[in-house]
Amino acid sequence: MSLELVAFILLAGVAVVTGLLALLVRELVHTILWVAVFFVDLALVYFLLSAPFLGVLQLGVYAGAVTILLLFGVMVTRKRIFFREAATGIGPIPLGLALGVIVLLATVATTLPTTSGTVHAYAVTDLSVLLFGSDGGWLVLLGLSMMGALAGAIYLVREGRE
Amino acid sequence: MSDLSSGAVLAFSVILLGIGLFGLLTRRNFILVLIAIEVAMNAAILNFVAFGAFLGNGPGASGLSGQAIAVVLVGLAATEVAVGLAIVLALNRARGSINVGEATALKL
Repeated sequence: MSLELVAFILLAGVAVVTGLLALLVRELVHTILWVAVFFVDLALVYFLLSAPFLGVLQLGVYAGAVTILLLFGVMVTRKRIFFREAATGIGPIPLGLALGVIVLLATVATTLPTTSGTVHAYAVTDLSVLLFGSDGGWLVLLGLSMMGALAGAIYLVREGRE
Repeated sequence: MSDLSSGAVLAFSVILLGIGLFGLLTRRNFILVLIAIEVAMNAAILNFVAFGAFLGNGPGASGLSGQAIAVVLVGLAATEVAVGLAIVLALNRARGSINVGEATALKL
């Protein structure tokens, strides 16, 4: 029971609990808080898996930008502050379908093979050589898709719709 | 020497995907649906990072390819959240609520 395994079990437990809480609480602002904790927890998992650049990127993009985006979405589309959302009234068929999917995934998870437990250590400079060298085309495509998404989002929320 | 196996990380990723699917199928608030999609996408990104961490520099791609793919995927997921929230704002302006049951017509 090494320290890495203990740390991973703790982080995984916190992530599962905060993910479920984010989707089940009734106050939408509480959901945003749980979502922020979830993203920070996943960044810590990336640090544990020897991906420090990705951990910092997760903190900046997800725990920073995506959380604030979701919070602005909640603020603009609600009627007054701390308005309690109505109970969702989950019907039996979607709930049964969701539980069936979770049970299926859990049975798949127990049959996964376990390879050797060594986490390789990488240098961030090698990642930058890869990202801006041979994988640079993907980065350019990502930038172009982000520009297209920006144009689409501005078009969707423009004034002057009927 | 650690005994953190790849199966444990992949099982965690599968459980997160299950949580995301549960939220996607059973929530009626559009923003909660977006949050569930983000949880599932983070499960997929964690999968890439796990394979990058546990497979070394093999004959094909290096172990860092998983992290490079994950960097691009994080950017794409954030982009998708932004466009989804633009759709939420447009739907709120058209219908007055963000219930996914209200989005029944193809034209807003």
